[in-house]
Amino acid sequence: MASAFCRSCLSRLPRASLLPPPTVPRTTTTATAAAATAGFHTSAAHYANPTKKSNSLDSGPKYRQAKSAKMKRKKPVERTRPPPIGERKALRNRIVLGNPNALEPTDMQNISVENMGDPRVRGSVVGLPVSMLEQLRSVHAFKKSQGWGLFRRPATFMRKEALEMGRLFEKISGEEQGKVVKKVITGKVGSGKSVFLTQAMAMGFLKNWVVFTVPETQELVNAHTGYAPLDDANPGLYVQNQATSQLLQRTFKANEKVLSGLKVSQEHPALKSLVKPGMTLAQLTGLGIKDQAVAWPIFQALWAELTSTSAPRPPVLVTVDGLSHWMQNSKYRTADFKPIHAHDLVFVRHFLSLLKPGVNGNSTLPNGGLLLYATSGSNSPRIYSFDVALKQLEATTSGINPKSPEFPQVDAYQSPDPRVIEAFTAPQPTSAKEGKLELQPLSGLTPEDTVGYMEFWAKSGLIRQYMNFRWVSQLWTKSSGGIIGELHRLAGRLRVPQRT
Amino acid sequence: MAWQRPSCVVQAMQLLRLQPLRSSASPLSPTHTQFLLRSQKANSRGYATGTSSDSSVQVVPEATPAAPAIDFDQFPYRPARIVPASPSYFSGSPKFIDHLLRLENLLAENERLPKTSPMHVPRKAWLKLAQFRDFVGEPVPTKKYKSLIKILQRINRIRPEIIPDYANNIINEYVRPGNPYGVKPAPPTLDEMGRARGRGKRKTSSAVVYLVEGEGEVLVNGKTLSEAFPREHDRESVVWPLSCTERLDKYNVWATVKGGGTTGQAESITLALARALLVHEPGLKQALRKAGTVTVDARRVERKKPGHVKARKKPAWVKR
Repeated sequence: MASAFCRSCLSRLPRASLLPPPTVPRTTTTATAAAATAGFHTSAAHYANPTKKSNSLDSGPKYRQAKSAKMKRKKPVERTRPPPIGERKALRNRIVLGNPNALEPTDMQNISVENMGDPRVRGSVVGLPVSMLEQLRSVHAFKKSQGWGLFRRPATFMRKEALEMGRLFEKISGEEQGKVVKKVITGKVGSGKSVFLTQAMAMGFLKNWVVFTVPETQELVNAHTGYAPLDDANPGLYVQNQATSQLLQRTFKANEKVLSGLKVSQEHPALKSLVKPGMTLAQLTGLGIKDQAVAWPIFQALWAELTSTSAPRPPVLVTVDGLSHWMQNSKYRTADFKPIHAHDLVFVRHFLSLLKPGVNGNSTLPNGGLLLYATSGSNSPRIYSFDVALKQLEATTSGINPKSPEFPQVDAYQSPDPRVIEAFTAPQPTSAKEGKLELQPLSGLTPEDTVGYMEFWAKSGLIRQYMNFRWVSQLWTKSSGGIIGELHRLAGRLRVPQRT
Repeated sequence: MAWQRPSCVVQAMQLLRLQPLRSSASPLSPTHTQFLLRSQKANSRGYATGTSSDSSVQVVPEATPAAPAIDFDQFPYRPARIVPASPSYFSGSPKFIDHLLRLENLLAENERLPKTSPMHVPRKAWLKLAQFRDFVGEPVPTKKYKSLIKILQRINRIRPEIIPDYANNIINEYVRPGNPYGVKPAPPTLDEMGRARGRGKRKTSSAVVYLVEGEGEVLVNGKTLSEAFPREHDRESVVWPLSCTERLDKYNVWATVKGGGTTGQAESITLALARALLVHEPGLKQALRKAGTVTVDARRVERKKPGHVKARKKPAWVKR
């Protein structure tokens, strides 16, 4: 049996024999041991704070360690392949025209030749025929912000102005053949200017007119399509072949049926080798789509054919949406890097020249037609000259003499653009059938019309509450007097049924 | 002690002079004289400063005949010692304390009378602090003034049909001349065109609304509602007084608003519109109050202080 006494460390020696008896009474064994090792300490060693490791620089330079800050290497992120070119834009511009969850109102009529001027459809919503949707799509009649995807199928509200336009279509196609009406459509944001153009296009298709549209004026002036000087004979004019080709494509797709029934009736010296006698206008248009280089001469030829009186031609509808982009310098530059005015682009110049009356007793559209040029409430640069021009146009439309003191004048200190002012000062047309340029302001719906519009919402199953006149009148006020875009926003949001 | 300080005399004489001009200047009743002989106040409390200088009057040789009755109206002697009429004469602010004691006594007498509800208490414009100091003629501290006003308010809460006239007269002495609350402005009416006008403020914007009967059109600074307020919540709050009372299709609103931001502008129109609506239909007040459009939100932006980053925010503490 081993002895309890350890010889080397003397730790097992009886305490009394080595040290004097402790003066401080000890409670724990560890305290005893600590006090035993350091008798001069006043507090036990394990009560002291642990000494901190000093990380500061004043501890001296570190010779055997890396001195620079270590950069952590980032792991390479797995990147998926980006979507192919154009796909993102297509997704962005994709327009949904229907909602299978919405109900279709049982009593909804389609717009047709019979009811487009019928006062009985006023204040109700009429559907656009499904067969026509492809045509409307190809002329970009629908825009993304118009909320087509909320209802079962595309339908538009027949307000007073739309019915008047329907009657105009009937007149121009019927008793007043060859009549030309030119309108600039203004109104507040969301007052339904673009949908008004859509309705016009639908009526044009119903009446078998030829429909030309410029759905985005901005695209022609923001330097996103190619441009080139027109020719040596016309210095300072520029042609946009790609945009013209796209216009021809739109026109071809939408009006193929009408155009293929019409034949070339004139000589086109500029296109001697391409145009063959007996060609249909659809084929003529196809030439410009195939070869962008001749797009502009082809468009000119097509226009000349449609405005010729030697053969029977249908009336023409021209719609332009967002006029104000055309009233300033474009983003294109000349060879000297000077800005090109939008009016120097032949495409723009052509459509703006239609606002002027024809020369020598001729009408701009001898076969009749309708020009609808809308301003935009949201995407429109503020141009002083254009504002004044519209005010002057409003004054002339309401019959104020341009020489009278009430007629709005141009402030010379605002540096007005004379070309813009001049573009809208149309003299009295020489042709009897040609109307003067007018301004048509679009305002909000009347309270009665609002009821009709909201009934359509209710019948589509989009309102989960009882509709009464009080609620509609509240909506009418909050939408600042029946502005239809605001109604759409508010009605789309006010979904919570009211507690009564 | 008496006659020692000319200021005492001046004050006393002023009191005498002012008494017929304005009885309220002295809390004491006019029947009292200002200076009384100690002999007259034999039963009253003696003062520590009283000396026995007048004791010689009592020690009369018996041989002499009785003195004639003293005619107090024609008092021949100069008073040997003046006794102040007010027991608070030797306090720091004797006049104020006189007022306070008088009102406390008045309250003690009438404390048991029934009170009206706070709503029906007749509103009285008490003398303001500066006016009260002038009225008393002493520098009264704010705190004491407030305590006195509290007593006045308490007395004023006694039912008007029961309160004794003398009490009413007394508390009316402390009312500002012309009683601003007594004259109420005429209630606003429609003008000859049938328009009601209302003004409202919120944050830093102020609005004026003209309300006419109509179909529910709203113009703010000549713009439509959606042009003036792109945010739908703001539009809601502008027409809220009309929509919560179901009057939205019965009035046209024409508002001008300036200052502040969009929220402030919208809510100042709310207040102005509610006030204009009350001109047309005063009976809607309770409904509008419940809808929260009658109460004025008097909050304004708190000012920035020196040494602070904003009104309250302080810069971060930095060692050294």
